[in-house]
Amino acid sequence: MTIVVGYTPTPAGRAALVAAAGVAAERNRPVIIVNSSRGDALADPGFATPADLDWARSTLEEAGVEFSIRQSVRGREASEEVVTVLEEVDAELCVIGIRHRTAVGKMLMGSNAHRILMDAPCPVLAVKAVDHD
Amino acid sequence: MSEAVAAAGDQPAARPARTRNRAEYGVCVFLALVGVVVLVDALQLSNNRTGVDPLGPKPVPVFVGSLLMVLAVALAVAVTRGSQGEAEAGEDIDLSQPVDIKTVLLLLGVFVANIVLIDFLGWVISGGLLFYGSAIVLGSRHFIRDLVISAALSLGTFYGFAIGLGVGLPAGILQGIL
Amino acid sequence: MESFQFLLNGFATAATPINLLLSLIGVIIGTAVGVLPGIGPAMTVALLLPITYNLEPTGAIIMLAGIFYGGMYGGSTTSILLNTPGESSSVVTAIEGNLMAKGGRAAQALATAAVGSWVAGTIGTLLLAFFAPIVTRFAISLGAPEYFAVMLLAFIAVTAVLGSSRLRGFISLALGLTVGLVGLDSVSGQARLTFGIPQLGDGIDIVVVAVGIFALGEALWVAAHLRRQVAEVIPVGRPWMGKSDFKRSWKPWLRGTALGFPFGAIPAGGAEIPTFLSYITEKRLTKHPEEFGKGAIEGVAGPEAANNASAAGTMVPMLSLGLPTNATAAVMLAALVSYGIQPGPLLLQREGELVWGLIASLFIGNTLLLILNLPLAPMWAKLLRIPRPYLYAGILFFASMGAYAVNGSSFDLILLLVFGLIGFGMRRFGLPVLPLIVAVILGPRVELQGRRALQLSSGDVKGLFGSVDVATGQFQLSALAIVVYVIIVLILLWPLIFKVIRKVLPAKAAAVIEEISEEPALAVAEHHHVEVTQTDEGPSRTENTETPK
Repeated sequence: MTIVVGYTPTPAGRAALVAAAGVAAERNRPVIIVNSSRGDALADPGFATPADLDWARSTLEEAGVEFSIRQSVRGREASEEVVTVLEEVDAELCVIGIRHRTAVGKMLMGSNAHRILMDAPCPVLAVKAVDHD
Repeated sequence: MSEAVAAAGDQPAARPARTRNRAEYGVCVFLALVGVVVLVDALQLSNNRTGVDPLGPKPVPVFVGSLLMVLAVALAVAVTRGSQGEAEAGEDIDLSQPVDIKTVLLLLGVFVANIVLIDFLGWVISGGLLFYGSAIVLGSRHFIRDLVISAALSLGTFYGFAIGLGVGLPAGILQGIL
Repeated sequence: MESFQFLLNGFATAATPINLLLSLIGVIIGTAVGVLPGIGPAMTVALLLPITYNLEPTGAIIMLAGIFYGGMYGGSTTSILLNTPGESSSVVTAIEGNLMAKGGRAAQALATAAVGSWVAGTIGTLLLAFFAPIVTRFAISLGAPEYFAVMLLAFIAVTAVLGSSRLRGFISLALGLTVGLVGLDSVSGQARLTFGIPQLGDGIDIVVVAVGIFALGEALWVAAHLRRQVAEVIPVGRPWMGKSDFKRSWKPWLRGTALGFPFGAIPAGGAEIPTFLSYITEKRLTKHPEEFGKGAIEGVAGPEAANNASAAGTMVPMLSLGLPTNATAAVMLAALVSYGIQPGPLLLQREGELVWGLIASLFIGNTLLLILNLPLAPMWAKLLRIPRPYLYAGILFFASMGAYAVNGSSFDLILLLVFGLIGFGMRRFGLPVLPLIVAVILGPRVELQGRRALQLSSGDVKGLFGSVDVATGQFQLSALAIVVYVIIVLILLWPLIFKVIRKVLPAKAAAVIEEISEEPALAVAEHHHVEVTQTDEGPSRTENTETPK
């Protein structure tokens, strides 16, 4: 049984990782970090740089948790990538970060979080960013 | 913790040499065809040489046509010896994967649709469809957002360029409404 | 000097509110597009050409020149922040620039690039203002045979010097000549290659050719090979430089300018060679050799200056002789033709207001760029977030719009499609694009000059080698024409000559020559590696290949 966290180098994503570390330490489960980009644009702020991944690694190491990282650029939406991993490893919990969107924003952009909530085969823990990062 | 990083050498070859070379012969055939067309067209010119024009309109086309034929042969020879044109690379190009013919054909289809429809439907609709279709074919999945952007672009360019700057863009069936 | 007076008048032209606005728009669009991957200034100028049709030619050319310069600024911004240069001439900047950025000195790298470009651009434009009238005066004195020879040289130089395969360069040239033939012959009025289609009677509009091959061809090619790649953008605040940075930069700026300008002015010079030479020079002259390879500011200052100086240099033959030395100049000449202005030695005389206005606007544009880019660099970097589907859909959109607007006819869209397919094929089979464009623009003019030369000699072939002296009535060989023809023959025979040199000269000398002609290949090799990051369980891999254009 594994815990999967959808990680982005944003306040919400980092909050999700910290929460996942906590839960994993508590339940003594390994964590899989999933980060991806559609690769459509040359610059994607959601794509974790090596420095971002280092931060993730050290956070999980401090929590004493076993983990692995999956990063891919395959032209698929982040929600698709996360759900694929969830199904593949038969995850016990999915942790994602969420941020507030206006009503118009939700319509125009779609929401990865929304789709994960709908499609995940396991419970989903949605974490909001803390005010002070 | 569980990642492996490996550095490899050069980019892998696009496909086996033999297939590529056969495609290059296609270029030779193309060149030869164009050369024949040019020569045939040139030969039907009447070369009126006058005092003002001692050369006439014929020699240069004949030269170009012959040049094309010579180059076709030269290329064929070079290809047989293994010469290969380097396909152009760029930041957005990934040559290690086979050609995505489907996308190209779809894109061409969208483009041809615009050619056919532009005079009838006008730029605003036809051009908007062109942008929308192209974006979708190229992989964008935000269907509603793209529709909005396409409409904004085609309306914006129409008002800005056609009406504002007098650039000749057709209004089509929206004539009188815009 | 009367040039100075003309230049002042030029400023009066360039400083009108409309022209200032157009310069600003051009510079902004150029920078934005230069930042974006996959779109070069030549393509942008081609795409925006039809929009400028209803503008005054002076204003239009000012805007197009702004796009040209802006494109190079944008390209260097990307190459520093991303190590994936937006322009082939920014490849060298990326070497040290990106290393500086990774080391936390992105602000300084950007600053030295921006200021260096400004210095080089200003000095270059001054040189342009100085040389253009001189070269023009010389060019006017050329008779038809000399002019014919020089244009032939430009052809051959562009085809046979650049690029890896001369054979393919010539193929490109021949195809371009074919396109140039289409239409009514200007002297005899007979129709050539029109196949009875009335729209082809006026020939094929160069804009349609340029947009088709550059824009549509590129879009189709990318569609066939779309790479999904995300690069790490190094975040940066405002660019600025410290005193010691400035001290280390100013000499490379000047040296870079000195290298770049002459190369830009000769056919087939381009910007890649001088930027590379500047890099080697700075590496050999630096007082901080240990920094090269880790982020040395001289390695950014010199090449950037060379880049911009080369652009200014390009304008010299373009304005004084009507000869394009790179793709963007070729498209700008096409623009002039489409406004009904004949490029050539008489351009300066006939359209003095336009030319001097253009030169003055280059000063203004350069300064605008400096003002824009120093505070706005972080904003430009955000443009890199635009997804590629939108970029290329946009290219198709604007290309169709422009091509239709040329004549208000969908026939041009069909032509656009044909040239788009040709452009696709050329990219697939490694045929260089520049010879084709140059051939389409220059081919008809070369033919005209040749026929005119023969007309003056009443059909005698000697007419290509000299002319009849009006005073004495004697035939005189033209020394210049002979020299130029000899140069042409040398260029054509260079590979053979090279082989002979290698056998005859002592090993060391031959090795030096070989080193000079091979170093660009080495620089390319440095940028060409595949990094494979594999995760343990997953089948997904991240491929990150950096290939300079």
